Amino acid sequence: MLSSRIEDLPWVDAFSLPSLFDTRASLYKEWHDFVFFDRGSQLFGLLNFAVHGNPYDGKRGYGAALAFLSGPGGKVHTALKLSPLHQLKVSPYDPDFLTKEVSVSYQATEFTIKGKIDDVSLDLTIPVLLPPVTMTQIGFDVLSKSRINVEMVGAAGEMAGIWDKWVELPKLSVVGTIGTPGTSYTVDTTTGYQDHEGGRFDWGGVLGWDTGVLLCDPTSPGEPEKVSFLFYRYGPSGESSYGGVIVRTAEGKERFFGAENMTITRTGEFSGERAYLPGVTKLLYPDYRPHVPATTVFSGTESGDSIEVTFTPRAVCTIVVPSTTGEAETTFNETHCDAALKAVVGGESYDKVIPCWFESVRPRGRFDDGP
Amino acid sequence: MALRLRKFLDELLDVMREDSPRELRRLIHDASGLTYLQTLDGEKAVIIVKNRQIAIAGRANKKDVNVRVHITRDCLFDILEGRLTLVEALDGGGLKVFGDPLTLLRCYAIWERVISLARKSPRFYFLTYELR
Repeated sequence: MLSSRIEDLPWVDAFSLPSLFDTRASLYKEWHDFVFFDRGSQLFGLLNFAVHGNPYDGKRGYGAALAFLSGPGGKVHTALKLSPLHQLKVSPYDPDFLTKEVSVSYQATEFTIKGKIDDVSLDLTIPVLLPPVTMTQIGFDVLSKSRINVEMVGAAGEMAGIWDKWVELPKLSVVGTIGTPGTSYTVDTTTGYQDHEGGRFDWGGVLGWDTGVLLCDPTSPGEPEKVSFLFYRYGPSGESSYGGVIVRTAEGKERFFGAENMTITRTGEFSGERAYLPGVTKLLYPDYRPHVPATTVFSGTESGDSIEVTFTPRAVCTIVVPSTTGEAETTFNETHCDAALKAVVGGESYDKVIPCWFESVRPRGRFDDGP
Repeated sequence: MALRLRKFLDELLDVMREDSPRELRRLIHDASGLTYLQTLDGEKAVIIVKNRQIAIAGRANKKDVNVRVHITRDCLFDILEGRLTLVEALDGGGLKVFGDPLTLLRCYAIWERVISLARKSPRFYFLTYELR
């Protein structure tokens, strides 16, 4: 089946818990990432709800909820809270993530997120506006529009070795309130997005990726329905990458700009506000400041269409994740960007700055030059 | 009710014996000869490392103690959650350390490894938060 319906969401977006007898169950990890930008309050939010470790080992498995908020002027607030397994409910039958302090629940085509992640309070209703898209669908879509090449096979092999699940919910409404100490934000936007990934792997073996979405509002003049991108690193030391950018117009015309027809340039050094998670990262590495370019530009052409996106970070949250089996560490640079989109797709022209989520993942200390 | 410091350290050692025996052996090797007085909000515990053994005690002879660390709970969690650097904690008085510089550097290297290990272990994390 190559397409899903909103009605399929409960099982498509559910947690794919490993078997009790899975010999790699201790390497299991799976999460929801909710991302949005509210243009009224100028609030960018990334909320992550994750299960780590063997979900049947009450001592070593755990749940984690994380919030990265970037308010007006790039003011950053982050929070991270772990939950023991006996206080966490997830299942392979629905996308719910229920802990004592914060809950994500899904019913009648909408999520609700209620409770607290440390000092961040959440009361959100998140109706799902478009059906989920699975890794299989994206793969077939790319294959149907592009010729298979070595780069594509390399990246696909790397992804298949890591991920058991990769699902996106391309369009969500996000309505409600978010509170941080001293500040309360009202959110009402249709720019919400969710991705859901999971697998049984160790972070020490991950070469990383650059991914993200422009948080488009197609009802706003001059904006497409969707722009998303993924460049996946592969090869002996992750020096190569393959992927592309997908643009869908408000009229439903779609164009995939493959990496073979794109150039990526990175310049300067981001000088705005940064946050680090978990907090002990600053204790362990007081001087750690991963390179984040001041601008990153994707540009390319395909069958008469063209695209140029210039990403300018406004706030960065660096998350350092250790390998559980060795000394390696992986750095996630979660970035709230302005994305200046200049594109021509299917006869439609775009020239607009759109809020964006950009996630760049790399082994810490190697190729530490992203996003 | 918050976990008592001595009980915390005893349980921390139990977790390490169970989950990280190799790291514990290395820690004991590197800390050999240390008698470390830890104070948390006035509550005292002594970590004694000698003869390839590590033990937690309530007190020790003053002349045997070669490192003293005083910290408040607020300061501890501000450091662990990234709100304070070690330098800021020392400057603010929430953290006080006494001992000869080389011994303090040894202790720092040991705690750095324990904290690094703690990031991989939810058992460490949940145990530490019982101190709050």
